Amino acid sequence: MPDTGAAPVPVQLKAEEIMTLEQTKLIELLTSDAPDFARAKACQRLAVIGTREAVPALAALLADPKFSHYARYGLEPIPDPSVDDALREASGKLTGRLQIGVINSLGNRRDTKAVEALARLMDGSDADVAAAAAAALGRIGDGSAAKELQRVLDRTKTVAGACLECCEGLLTKGNKEQALALYEALLLRSDLPPAVRLAATRGQQATRRP
Amino acid sequence: MSSIEIMPLDQLISEEMAVKRTSVSRRQFLKATVPAGALASAPLIIPGSALGKNGALPASERIVLGGIGIGSRGGLVLSSFMSQPEIQFVAICDIRAERRDAIKTKADEKYGNKDCAKYSNIHEILARPDIDAVLIATGDRWHTTASILAARAGKDIYCEKPCSMTIAESLALADTVRRFGCVYQAGTQRRNVANFTYVIGLVHGGTLGKLQTVHANTQDPKVTHNWLPAQPEPPKDVVDWDAWLGPCPWRPFHSDYVRGRWRGYFDFHGGGILEWGSHTVDLCQWANKADNSAPVEYEPQGKDVICLYANGVKLVMREGGWQKDLGTCCVRFEGDSGWIETGDFARMNLSDNLKDKHKTFTERGTTPDGHVRDFLNCVKSRATPRSNADATSQSHIACHAAYIAWQLGRKLKYDPVKNEFVGDAEANRMRSRAIREPWRV
Repeated sequence: MPDTGAAPVPVQLKAEEIMTLEQTKLIELLTSDAPDFARAKACQRLAVIGTREAVPALAALLADPKFSHYARYGLEPIPDPSVDDALREASGKLTGRLQIGVINSLGNRRDTKAVEALARLMDGSDADVAAAAAAALGRIGDGSAAKELQRVLDRTKTVAGACLECCEGLLTKGNKEQALALYEALLLRSDLPPAVRLAATRGQQATRRP
Repeated sequence: MSSIEIMPLDQLISEEMAVKRTSVSRRQFLKATVPAGALASAPLIIPGSALGKNGALPASERIVLGGIGIGSRGGLVLSSFMSQPEIQFVAICDIRAERRDAIKTKADEKYGNKDCAKYSNIHEILARPDIDAVLIATGDRWHTTASILAARAGKDIYCEKPCSMTIAESLALADTVRRFGCVYQAGTQRRNVANFTYVIGLVHGGTLGKLQTVHANTQDPKVTHNWLPAQPEPPKDVVDWDAWLGPCPWRPFHSDYVRGRWRGYFDFHGGGILEWGSHTVDLCQWANKADNSAPVEYEPQGKDVICLYANGVKLVMREGGWQKDLGTCCVRFEGDSGWIETGDFARMNLSDNLKDKHKTFTERGTTPDGHVRDFLNCVKSRATPRSNADATSQSHIACHAAYIAWQLGRKLKYDPVKNEFVGDAEANRMRSRAIREPWRV
């Protein structure tokens, strides 16, 4: 722990006290032997005030089964590319639920640099991880994400829901042509669930309207 | 060249919805009511009710309902549903074994059989193709996630309020419902309760003149971030604590949370503004014809928040100062030609010049019957119910934005088109919270 000359943060703090600490003290809490409660609250407070400086301490918790979600809670709103770097790195190392959580955060941050990694995860053997990766690609919703989803759609309908969201993302970016192509690819599948088919048809028709 | 024939959208929707309206084929109904194995053995006795005899609707006219997280309030709403002739309640999903048993008993007694299925896993109940709609009455923390899962599964949704925990959840909810075209009704009731609809009618009809200020009865916004002391976790088949938490941050188990005493905790409760504001701010939005928008300014004053719409109407979210004997969830509308104030006791007070507009009503604001009826009518017609996802999303955004302003202790400006605060990065970071894996919205 760096010797700042400042008094260490007492670990038996109330929530209201933790929520008023400044970043340096919160990071100190995270990297100390503080009780779970204090570290959890520190993560939640960093969600509001955390900067690039907090990313290493938070990212270090991504592999912790108890704190992985708290780490993402703190990381997701921090507007710094080092967060995306940390999440991408973790997505390749973690497995199971923790991996799914990190993938979800990549999608929520719409990290376009994660498309390749997400595509690999979508091709993996863990069906839940693959579904999360598809959903994240759908949320990123750009041309490269659409290409990857369409590639998988040719062999399975399981990414159909993610395709719907991807189409909407393409449209917000002005990419009408690729959105229509993805809607068409969806509707070529005869085995879509009725709700997805209707949503795809509705989306296609709305997109075609001048 | 596309090989797909473009079917007119109206025709497609009409065909798909015809399928949805008659989704309970006779065979499916019989499968649900006849014990497994009986179909292949003894002569099949078809209940007369299945054929529409004795006043019962035929199976093809019924709406098959499932329930998710039904406690005391949910039980009241479920009773209202089950009193409707077209409803057939077939399944309950709950993380608590005693609640699953209680609702199954309720349903089985109603139908005189033992057919109500029990689930502890939300995916399983939503995977049932025979279920048309779900009643979601879990705690606040689950409302958005469960609704979105249901929408993706093609179900129509009646979800108790409040319907979201954050601005981001509000938007995700509206987007998903719109994407899948399902019928969504927020369990706020009052848009289908007589005294409130009458008062809104007066406002919209110009009786109050130009609307100036709307007031919404809210509660003390203060919540706690604390945890209760850890207790041993019960067996999963008794209470699934991981499932109870769902999308919320982990904390140690305590039976108080599960027994309904989760309000007031930041992680589980949207706060006092949202608690009643999901009803009253919603009514104010309706009065101001702002169902597709939210206020652009929020200024905290003590426990209250003063808001301003782009059209100049002021919205006052306040805890106190309400007229006596109007009950809970009061609203007050002020125009340049008079004012009116009403609440859950169905009473109203008006300015002197409008006394002739006074009307007496008896239906309480907490009554779900009209709202349930509106929802079921829309399930059949595919029309949009009054407390639909778009309107609900905006009224919730107004509450969340006010709560954020109150937490930060400063005035905020909000852009309801971009759905972001203007010039306040901290406030913008509070628009969403990362959801616990494996859930996502």
